[in-house]
Amino acid sequence: MRGNGTRTSLALALVLTLGGTLTGCGGDGGGGSGGKVSLRFTWWGNPDRAARTDKAVELFEQRHPDIDIATSFAGFDTYKAKLATQAAGGDAPDVMQLDYRQINQYATSGILLDLGEHPQLRTSEIDKGLLATGVVDGKQYALPVARGTETVVYDAALWRKAGVPEPTLTWTWDDWADAMRRLSASKATRGRVGSTDLGQSEDVFEIWLRSRGKALYTKDEKLGFTADDLTRYWEWCTKLRKEGAVVPAEQTTQMDGTVENTPLGRLKSVSDFNWDAPSSGFAPIVGEGLKLAPMPVGEDGTPGQYFKPSMFFGASAKTAHPKQAAQFIDFLLNDKEAGAILGATRGIPANDAMRQDVLPKLEGFDQVVSTYQKQFEGKLKDPPPAPPKGDASLQSTFSRDYDQVSYERMSPREAAENYITEAKAELRR
Amino acid sequence: MTATATRPPDAAPPATGGKRARKRERQGAAWVFLSPWVIGATVLTLLPMAVSLYLSFTDYNMFDAPRWIGFRNYTQMFTEDPRYWRSVTTTLTYVVIAVPLQLALALAVAIALKSVKRGKGFYRSAFYAPSLLGASMSIALVWRAIFNDGGSVDNLLSGMGIDIGGWINKPGWAILSVALLTIWQFGAPMVIFLAGLQQIPAELYEAAAVDGASWWRQFRSITIPMLSPVLFFNLVLQMIQAFQVFTPAFAVSAGKGGPADSTLVYTLYLYDRGFTASHMGYASAMAWVLLLAIGLVTAVLFRTSRAWVFYANDTNEGGR
Repeated sequence: MRGNGTRTSLALALVLTLGGTLTGCGGDGGGGSGGKVSLRFTWWGNPDRAARTDKAVELFEQRHPDIDIATSFAGFDTYKAKLATQAAGGDAPDVMQLDYRQINQYATSGILLDLGEHPQLRTSEIDKGLLATGVVDGKQYALPVARGTETVVYDAALWRKAGVPEPTLTWTWDDWADAMRRLSASKATRGRVGSTDLGQSEDVFEIWLRSRGKALYTKDEKLGFTADDLTRYWEWCTKLRKEGAVVPAEQTTQMDGTVENTPLGRLKSVSDFNWDAPSSGFAPIVGEGLKLAPMPVGEDGTPGQYFKPSMFFGASAKTAHPKQAAQFIDFLLNDKEAGAILGATRGIPANDAMRQDVLPKLEGFDQVVSTYQKQFEGKLKDPPPAPPKGDASLQSTFSRDYDQVSYERMSPREAAENYITEAKAELRR
Repeated sequence: MTATATRPPDAAPPATGGKRARKRERQGAAWVFLSPWVIGATVLTLLPMAVSLYLSFTDYNMFDAPRWIGFRNYTQMFTEDPRYWRSVTTTLTYVVIAVPLQLALALAVAIALKSVKRGKGFYRSAFYAPSLLGASMSIALVWRAIFNDGGSVDNLLSGMGIDIGGWINKPGWAILSVALLTIWQFGAPMVIFLAGLQQIPAELYEAAAVDGASWWRQFRSITIPMLSPVLFFNLVLQMIQAFQVFTPAFAVSAGKGGPADSTLVYTLYLYDRGFTASHMGYASAMAWVLLLAIGLVTAVLFRTSRAWVFYANDTNEGGR
């Protein structure tokens, strides 16, 4: 009786084990010999971008029934950390969205595929200047998707109600600060503050620097500003914060790279700083009145903002299906139908033909972004060269150091010295 | 349950001749059955530990090959990194708040539950539930919402005229909300306390009651000494866990350790150095320092335990 029981359980175990092997085999077959190719594609962005990207992916899968694309997305901060870990572990997704700051590191570390070797991927229609930004050591490791520029995104309805003059193409930082003070003081804004605290944003600081004729980095990859410059910037922000023109520290500290957790996204301010395309995320929150204003210029009229390749697509050097990956990137960048679905969700397309044919037919926020960029045509200065290696973590260092300032744990001077020390150490690595 | 009743199972008479061969055979079988664990522990724990020890002496950004820099990560940590010391202070604050309060709460609830006659199972499960849920990210996110400005805690307190605002956005208050999340998960130590309480012979209480001892007197002179081994066990366990706190601090501060680094606990700073700033070598060095520190604190606890932990069995043993 007992022996019988043992035999039964052994048999059962054997069956279970075999079953496991079988299902294991089945899974593998699906990826390889079954003929269906499966690719992983990851990006950062807001829900609007996600919805449109998934729609474009569906279209691609319809046209290529043999290719299956698994997508996933996250907010920028999370995405950055996750991708770095995956890449370092040799498990980078087949197709990935990349930031300007990542390309250098990823290309030189052998993580990215040389896309220039894949004729499926056409680059003839891509803006030549932007195309060059995806080249590292003479190889096309990444393709620019779109170009973007910074903006003051604001609730125009509230702004008008408060009776504050509308922003212009040539408003200066002082004009901007005045407008913020008046917005905060106005009863029409119902306790909402003028703006996000610009002290936490390295992006805004860069534009402020450029409008004063300086830069974040010099051509030989050193810091392009001194502790004095940063101290002056943070002292100015602190003054605005104390006057109530920008939000208090409790609001600033909640920002995490998503639109929903910004002061404007939480309906605590009237305006915010962001890149133009991602500002679409504010539309469902703020509503009809959402508008984009140019970034303020320097006292002498020098514009600080610039057109930047907003993001890139790259493929993993380890992908099992480089041909299909190239095909998919080609579809996202060059296909007219895909272009119509994606619109300006990643910025104004780098593809010239797309910009001329598809974009004018688009409506809604895509049109807002398109019109916004048009007014700068030929008026902006050249973009800075790609940020040096080691800069990747400095953005968070910047906002973290400012956190110490806004909670009054450090003076602007102390925090600025801190930042310069850490930045120099990072750039030396 | 008495120490004299049981004989240690491995105290069998020494094996001789054929028995030895059989023993070897049995050991072989044991290794076969242990192999999944042995392989798992080697590949998933020991090997990574060895690699991390090596990395702690290098500069490694996850992309380029690690570069040997000797003890520089360690010296930088101790002498040049004010944020490191801030994270140490934050962690110690957290441990000092969370562990005693959690244990006190667990003990109090366990004592209360011991005298519950009806619905025992229900109450036990109800108090244990947070421990099942609490470790998850989702609860930590709910916590974030509750303690944010305009969250329920803020609304409740301002309703009572106490205007703090969102706890998670105030340095000083934020770490408290993280500690509360841990304290709330007192289920595991509570269950252990309950088991310990039930082991205390009822005669002791009866004798004390006959002698007219008050509840407090009974608690101090019977419950605490008889429970001290369990208390010690819980203390060591919870302290080790508290030093490694990560999830609640990560979720409550959206991964940044803010506001103004006030929830930047040790492991969160380790994560920040490793995964955000790509200083894997530095992060590995931090991990080893943490391991040594926890080991040290545990050793100190064991040392002092001789003075206050009372093993009822020891006296039996001594009398033998």
